[in-house]
Amino acid sequence: MKRVLFWIAVILIFGLCLKGCVKKDIPEKYSENILSGNIENILYPDKNKNVEINGVEYLQSQAPVGKFGGQIVVSAIGEGPKTFNPCNTKDATSASMAGLLYDGLLTTEPVTGEVIPLLAKSFEIRGNEYVIYLRKGIKWTDGTPITAEDVIYTYKDIVYAGLGNTATRDAMMIKGKLPELLKLDDYTIKFITPEPFAPFLRQLTYPIVPKHYFKPYSDKGDSVFNAFLNPDTPPKQIVSSGAFKLKEYVPAQRVVFERNSDYYKVNLDNKKLPYLDKLIYLIVGDTNNEILKFEAGEIDVLSLRGSNVARYKIKEANSNYKIYNLGADNGTLFLVINLGNRKNKEGKWNVSPIKQNWFRNRDFRTAVDWAVDRDGMIKNIAQGVAEPLFTAEGLSSIYLNKEIKGHPKDKNVSKASLEKAGFKLDNGILYDNKGNRVEFDLYTNAGSIDRESIGVMIKQDLEELGMKVNFKPIEFNSLVNKLSNTQDWDMAIMGLTGSPLEPHDGKNVWMSNGPLHLFNQRPQNYQKDDRFDWEIELDNIFEEGALKLSYKDRKPIYDKYQTIIYNEKPIIYLYSPIRITAIRKKIQNIFPSKLSGLLYNIDEIYVEKEEDK
Amino acid sequence: MELFNKIYKDKFAFGAFLVLAFLYLIILFADFIAPYSSLYSNRDMSYAPPSKIYTITEDGRISKPYTYNYIREYEPSLMQTIYKQDRSTKYYIKPFVKGEKYKFLGIIPCDRHLFGVREGGYIYPLGTDINGRDVFSRLLFGGRISMTIGFLSLFIVFPIGLLYGGISGYFGGIIDNIMMRFAEAIMAIPSFYLLIILAAILPSGMTSIQRFCLIIVILALIGWAGFARVIRGMVLSIKNEEFVQAAKTIGASKLRIITKHILPQTTSYVIIALTLSVPSYILAESGLSFLGLGIQQPDASWGNMLKEAQEFTNILYRPWLLIPGLLIFTAVLSFNLLGDAIRDFLDPKSKIR
Repeated sequence: MKRVLFWIAVILIFGLCLKGCVKKDIPEKYSENILSGNIENILYPDKNKNVEINGVEYLQSQAPVGKFGGQIVVSAIGEGPKTFNPCNTKDATSASMAGLLYDGLLTTEPVTGEVIPLLAKSFEIRGNEYVIYLRKGIKWTDGTPITAEDVIYTYKDIVYAGLGNTATRDAMMIKGKLPELLKLDDYTIKFITPEPFAPFLRQLTYPIVPKHYFKPYSDKGDSVFNAFLNPDTPPKQIVSSGAFKLKEYVPAQRVVFERNSDYYKVNLDNKKLPYLDKLIYLIVGDTNNEILKFEAGEIDVLSLRGSNVARYKIKEANSNYKIYNLGADNGTLFLVINLGNRKNKEGKWNVSPIKQNWFRNRDFRTAVDWAVDRDGMIKNIAQGVAEPLFTAEGLSSIYLNKEIKGHPKDKNVSKASLEKAGFKLDNGILYDNKGNRVEFDLYTNAGSIDRESIGVMIKQDLEELGMKVNFKPIEFNSLVNKLSNTQDWDMAIMGLTGSPLEPHDGKNVWMSNGPLHLFNQRPQNYQKDDRFDWEIELDNIFEEGALKLSYKDRKPIYDKYQTIIYNEKPIIYLYSPIRITAIRKKIQNIFPSKLSGLLYNIDEIYVEKEEDK
Repeated sequence: MELFNKIYKDKFAFGAFLVLAFLYLIILFADFIAPYSSLYSNRDMSYAPPSKIYTITEDGRISKPYTYNYIREYEPSLMQTIYKQDRSTKYYIKPFVKGEKYKFLGIIPCDRHLFGVREGGYIYPLGTDINGRDVFSRLLFGGRISMTIGFLSLFIVFPIGLLYGGISGYFGGIIDNIMMRFAEAIMAIPSFYLLIILAAILPSGMTSIQRFCLIIVILALIGWAGFARVIRGMVLSIKNEEFVQAAKTIGASKLRIITKHILPQTTSYVIIALTLSVPSYILAESGLSFLGLGIQQPDASWGNMLKEAQEFTNILYRPWLLIPGLLIFTAVLSFNLLGDAIRDFLDPKSKIR
């Protein structure tokens, strides 16, 4: 019996193997997927107006009137908020949540990017004087009125005093001086800057905090202030001004916000916003987890990338969500080359003089740029959901230089450029004019499939030119240490986020003494002037650009900086992913904006009741 | 030889042995068996599905096995990449075709591969990865690292562990006390945090294989302590046996007694520990690569190949990326089955059946 079973099993396995080998050639069928409608272009309604009701100066939203009630669940990737103190946020999750609780004087118009009033009723600019008028009769969540005292306190005792995150203070500093701040009356404040300074106005979007609630803590210094409003704070104690107030925080699970019933924004019927009863952030570990939660219907908004886009596009027609294309992301992904020619403290070269000769030669960098296969990266790594990038400003920046058209990969241009610089190709191996083999290291941070795959492609591209590239993905912190401290690196694949509105934010990268001047980082207090001509030019551009006030005057200046970088190629830009977001159809008053995304007008968004459920 | 006979009689153990033998054989001849080299890549074929191999033509006749090329198409409105078969040309699969040059067994220059298609065609038996590299070929080359890395650490763990445990157990008393406390201190080092720190401070001038070997060596240098403790326990009981007394009376040196008389008695345990610790290093390699500490791109290992499959859509639409996981599973299971069986044969007392 056993023997019979054994032979049956053998015959079965053999048969299955045979079946695997014998396969009939039947043409494959491909399902044709038809898209549901085109991408609509919905425009954000007119600018908000100010209305006065019973002596209170409200802000009136011009969005269509919606229904009150309901909730939206969104996701927060990572570990959740680290603080709810808006002055001390250092990560994106904390910043967005604290931003919900506290409004700034001014805000950014979501579509055009101009600066418009929010907590302030209006503002006037007279040369270097900025007069801000506050709303009368609006209150903090504990009923205390919001007055000029709170504004003065926020700027003088927190921002100027350097408590918490000092980025705003650094940005407000003009030639080493901070703007003067005067209280004209209870509802009027005046800032006087040392000289006209374009990026200043945008700094007034800094969240205003209640003096009576914050002062006891800010008086005790940095360490007490930094611990203030940590996630353990009982939500009921928090005094805030935003459209939502904190209801509950369950660590590593969710953050629940509820409606602030006394918010100062009203709809067209003069009823108080926001519409939503609750806004819930679900804390998810990673993007895979986020996708599963969206599939399960636990979250309402999902940002898509790579091949996920196609999956959701195909299912969109028969689903309860809609997909919006928000255009290219403003983050940049690039290959940076070390142009440094300095020695470290022990007197050793950071980059050997042989390599310096290559990297500091523009023709060499041009050859690298023309060899990089951006189209291949977009097709393979971003699965087509990206656009090639050639400029230092991101593709969604309002200062993008559209004259820079870029170029495809062309090995012949690279070869010609190398030849011009004196490099010789011998038997498939590239030598420089002194007979040294061209060999260098290419770093990126390990663990990211995208960047590792980009590295593999760049390595192949450059090896086609006869160079030898040692591709080394290393741990993220070691990479940062290399780039910013030890500087013993040759090339690296990195990314940076940028502001689509204010190119001056890039000064830490582009000014020769900037702390993020990656490609030619100088040590602190470096005295010697060994700038390239074009580095001097960049320094001048960034100084000049900040002093011009109108967009029209500034645009040509910042166009020029992008041209310089495109020509000199210390940083070779690769591509920008396209932001695609899926959102449930029941969520109304969505006006997609390339600058601000989908949920920027969270106080105007409402949920359509689902009758069939 | 007797051991081998016993393995042969145990169906599970013999099956496991065959599987392992097969795996080691194909990674030994990886250059020849794989149709492409581990660095070969075809940019236009990123994430191409496995080539379909047909043996019966469209009109129903039996034919030599053949395959079609894929063409990639991009559908902009859906932002979707689709692979379609290019049915205009058939590519017959032939044995011993000319391909990329390699050195057979590392010595003999050669350019024939076990199977392949003529120029212009591609054959990807298990599809391709994100960079358009053949998964099947990379599995074979990756296996070279994954399947051998465990032995590297054994060469460190076992000599140190045996000698240390032997000396400690044989001398006893205060020497034993000091040596064992030292071993315990080493066991208390948290290896995972050590690895994370190591990843940050190791010189970056090393290639990923050098760095990974160094990590394995360091892991082994803290991993011998547990093994040494077991050996010491065994030595404690063996040193009172009569043959040890006899050796002492003859006047053999202490080191000679330890190495020639006592330690050989622990062979059965050592063989078992050996077979059972290899899979743990295979798993450690995949875990480390998964965390970005192990073998790095563009080198292949089963762990870093499996890393690519962690993305949600890859599991759904590109299941062939999971095959390295299947191989890790098979190899680890086989090692464990074999180790288990060997333990039963060498140590009849522990047999519970």
